[in-house]
Amino acid sequence: MTDAQTNDPHGMTRRQLLRHTAWFGSAVVLTVVGGEVISQIGNSNAAAPVPAANDAPALRFVQISDSHIGFNGPANMMVEQTFAEAIDMINALPYRPAFVMHTGDLTHLSTPDQFDQVKQMMSELKTSEVHTVPGEHDGVDDKGAKYRQFFGKGTQGAGWYSWDMAGVHFISLVNTLGLESMGHLGTDQLEWLRKDVAHLSSDTSIVVFSHIPLFAMYAKWGWSTDDSVQALSYLKRFASVTCLNGHVHQLFTKTEGNVTFFSATTTAYPLPKPGDGPAPTPVTLPAGKLHSALGVREVNYVKGNERLALKDVRLT
Amino acid sequence: MKMKDLLLRLVLAACVAGTGWVHTDLYLNGYRSIHVIGPSFLLTGAGSFAVAVLLIFSNSPVLRLLAAGLAAGALFGFTLSRTVGFFGFTETGLNPAPQALLSLLFEVGALALVAVSFVPVMMKARTTSVVAR
Amino acid sequence: MPDSASAPAGAPVAASSVTIKSFAFSPASITVKVGTTVTWTNQDQDAHTVTDKGGAFGSQALNTGASFKFTFTKPGTYNYLCTIHPFMTATVVVTQ
Repeated sequence: MTDAQTNDPHGMTRRQLLRHTAWFGSAVVLTVVGGEVISQIGNSNAAAPVPAANDAPALRFVQISDSHIGFNGPANMMVEQTFAEAIDMINALPYRPAFVMHTGDLTHLSTPDQFDQVKQMMSELKTSEVHTVPGEHDGVDDKGAKYRQFFGKGTQGAGWYSWDMAGVHFISLVNTLGLESMGHLGTDQLEWLRKDVAHLSSDTSIVVFSHIPLFAMYAKWGWSTDDSVQALSYLKRFASVTCLNGHVHQLFTKTEGNVTFFSATTTAYPLPKPGDGPAPTPVTLPAGKLHSALGVREVNYVKGNERLALKDVRLT
Repeated sequence: MKMKDLLLRLVLAACVAGTGWVHTDLYLNGYRSIHVIGPSFLLTGAGSFAVAVLLIFSNSPVLRLLAAGLAAGALFGFTLSRTVGFFGFTETGLNPAPQALLSLLFEVGALALVAVSFVPVMMKARTTSVVAR
Repeated sequence: MPDSASAPAGAPVAASSVTIKSFAFSPASITVKVGTTVTWTNQDQDAHTVTDKGGAFGSQALNTGASFKFTFTKPGTYNYLCTIHPFMTATVVVTQ
């Protein structure tokens, strides 16, 4: 560093100021250039089908939700069409998702025709496995009997189950189909859950699917689960727990301790934000705006990164 | 004296480059898609590399302050993410491992080295003001 | 659990038809004589059901404009709700 050439030892000559500015400017320029380069690499990684070994996500899956097949109203006069568009969008992805999970309200009125239609439409998905959890619209008159007929294979109780993939433990919970004013899991399911995770090592990444949020998003509209605290207590020791839900037809995220909750949007019609109005009535958006409120969610899991990387994609 | 200064500077550059590398690596491996975190990791990564490279050629106080700023900023973000959350993003403990711990070491190291590098200036300022009176 | 916590306020109204609107049953509490047929009509955009907590009656999902009828043959207090939106609760009081 050069000595100060001034009478004021605490001041700075014009030459020094220029020098400082020059270095600052260089740093900024280099940062921008470097940032561009890194960002480009990031872009090409995301688009490339099979990147290098350690950088590739170990697992990629898609969440789709609230298709409400059978709904007909000003909020969306063609829910079958928007659902089909979402399926097409998933099939057009540059990779094949390991599975697709539908987080509930597959049908709007639980009729056999509607279940049949949803099942047929989802069979078009280019993926190895399609998973579901039931929404309250899937069990309006029979506590879920028809839902289980179509989608209950391999599940227990009201329709819960778990599986492992790429070292991640996936759990599907049913907090609908009862008559409680909020989401409810019940003692049988809670006991099943306790046993299900008991033997897992604490560094296992856990992903929990449910229809209704497992956190208190807005209890007044039933957007909460009254016994989820117990369920989450069984998951407290794990390093990473991600809960993905539907039901609220809007994106929302919240973190509580080691658990992050992500609500997904719908492929049918939007609902108001919590408290925005007296009830969760389907919202009719101005013409042309509906598609931007609908969408699906891509999820990436990279080994070593316990947190899942989510990308919410709108219907175009 | 000069050799010691040069060594200090190079080690500082290495620490800054280290934190740049960790942030860039995480950015390219999933953190990119996280709301706000993605871009801030990019900024930290690119900025750190830029400052580290320039530090090889110059001991400018501006560069050293930028290095300290980057390190402090990264530490601040890290702390927030383990406590109240950083724009909704949280993680626990030293996850992801080993990147989190490495990054912490680089940042603390960088801050310490920058502090040390300013000691002669502060000493000189003190003696000068004493003499001037 | 639940009945009293979410029971609708106010004295029962003598009526034999209930409207489902804005995610609520209106009137929230009605009283009828044994043998009366009560009609529920859904005026909401969303679907609802009319389901007795005790299991005495239960509709399928009612779309907009659809209605459900039930004839009460036994006296008593019937607490019912919508299974899709279980925070929607109401009562029918049936007298001799």
